[in-house]
Amino acid sequence: MSRAATTTAGADNLLIGADGSTRRWRDLPPVVRGDEPTAAAVADSEDALAWVWQHALNRAELLVVGRERLDPGMRAELRADGFAIRGEEEASPTRPRDGESGRLWLLTSGSTGRPKRIGHTLASLSTVAGDLPPRRWLCPYSPGSYAWWQVITLGLSLPGQDLVLLDPARVDGWAQVAAEQEVTAASGTPTFWRQTLMSQSDALAQVPLQQVTLGGEPVDQAILDQLLAVFPTARVSWIYASSEVGASIVVHDGRAGFPEEWLGRVRPGRPVLDVVPAAEGGGEELVITSPHHGTGLSGPVRTGDRVERRAGRILITGRVDTDEINVGGSKVSAAAVREVLQAHPDVAWAQVSARRAPLVGAVVQATVVPRSGAEGGPVLEQHLSSWARDRLPAHGVPRRFLFRTEIPLKESLKSDV
Amino acid sequence: MAQVLAAQGKRLPGGETGDSAELAEIGFRSLDFSELALRVEDEVGMELNFEAAGLRAITTVGDVLDLLVELQQS
Repeated sequence: MSRAATTTAGADNLLIGADGSTRRWRDLPPVVRGDEPTAAAVADSEDALAWVWQHALNRAELLVVGRERLDPGMRAELRADGFAIRGEEEASPTRPRDGESGRLWLLTSGSTGRPKRIGHTLASLSTVAGDLPPRRWLCPYSPGSYAWWQVITLGLSLPGQDLVLLDPARVDGWAQVAAEQEVTAASGTPTFWRQTLMSQSDALAQVPLQQVTLGGEPVDQAILDQLLAVFPTARVSWIYASSEVGASIVVHDGRAGFPEEWLGRVRPGRPVLDVVPAAEGGGEELVITSPHHGTGLSGPVRTGDRVERRAGRILITGRVDTDEINVGGSKVSAAAVREVLQAHPDVAWAQVSARRAPLVGAVVQATVVPRSGAEGGPVLEQHLSSWARDRLPAHGVPRRFLFRTEIPLKESLKSDV
Repeated sequence: MAQVLAAQGKRLPGGETGDSAELAEIGFRSLDFSELALRVEDEVGMELNFEAAGLRAITTVGDVLDLLVELQQS
């Protein structure tokens, strides 16, 4: 299937609100605008869809951003770069310019500073090809994010792919909405799924999911196994995707990591995966050469993600620059410790960090959310300490445990790990 | 100290000989001392200032307890 030729092939797909309201793409109201570059400040996904449909029809340059992200500094920057602001407090560009036909801009998550703009097109964002069985997808992501565009372009470009739109601020009750709207496919971060399994397990079991997708954070075997236990007949997949390198790895076999033999494999139109020595802290880093790169990127791109070879698989474990904890000169990966803790049957979620300490400089500290029925406290702490000692070097064993009752979830559906 | 050791399946000697027990013999290592200091910090709700105590030899259980008492008072 030619991706570029089919960007509006889903025009008759349904767009379903959390309240059950139903529309089709082709019925969306026209958005009055010329062909000037536009930054559309939107309240939610439903608000954003009219802009996406308009772009699909006229190809005018567009950036979609959630209103809450559009602060005065970003407004000024966008106007200076030739964008008109639409959707709230409308404003003309301070330096007008001609738009670039077909151009879409995404903002990176900005967790390490000011958001950066990455250029794409509907074609470069539409990374799912081929015939898919009809599905009703949940879209829980924030408008304008890469993950959001992945789900939206699926609904726009492939017939039979309906969307159920959820406000990311209201994911707490999503499973009930998804059951009512008969959602058959859902994509979310491991933290999103962990939180759902912990706090909405009864409602989740009622959702007729045939496709469960994870991405946006390292995906470990424990969460895949938990989801397969709830949905034994569903396809449980994980995806590695980012606004910089596009959707580059898709794994459907229900296992963490991807087969080692995928490294260096060259296939037309597909990304090439490689590993190189990590820039910091030893180990190896994932490198991707992708046909779905954002503009301005080409050739091999260092992803900044640390990988580990284990039993013929390449596991993506965490970030190269923030993952390492130095305990008295001995180094340990926070991601490796987190993975061990999250594999414990009484743990729903764990976060691992360095804590300043006398003599050794730092020790490993773990924040843990127990699974339903388990209780945080000295008994669980002793169990986890013993569990970690059996699986980690002495300096990697958490020396302090903090317990909380809820899994923290940001609007990006990630936690701060 | 007993809690730190117990988490590793070790035991703190009790009775009159407890304070004079050698750290090396009971398996209490630098990481254990670090953990103990953090437990005390969490308990008293303040960060301990180890520089204030100056350098000294810490070889017995009594040495550790004396140091921690001194740090809380400094």
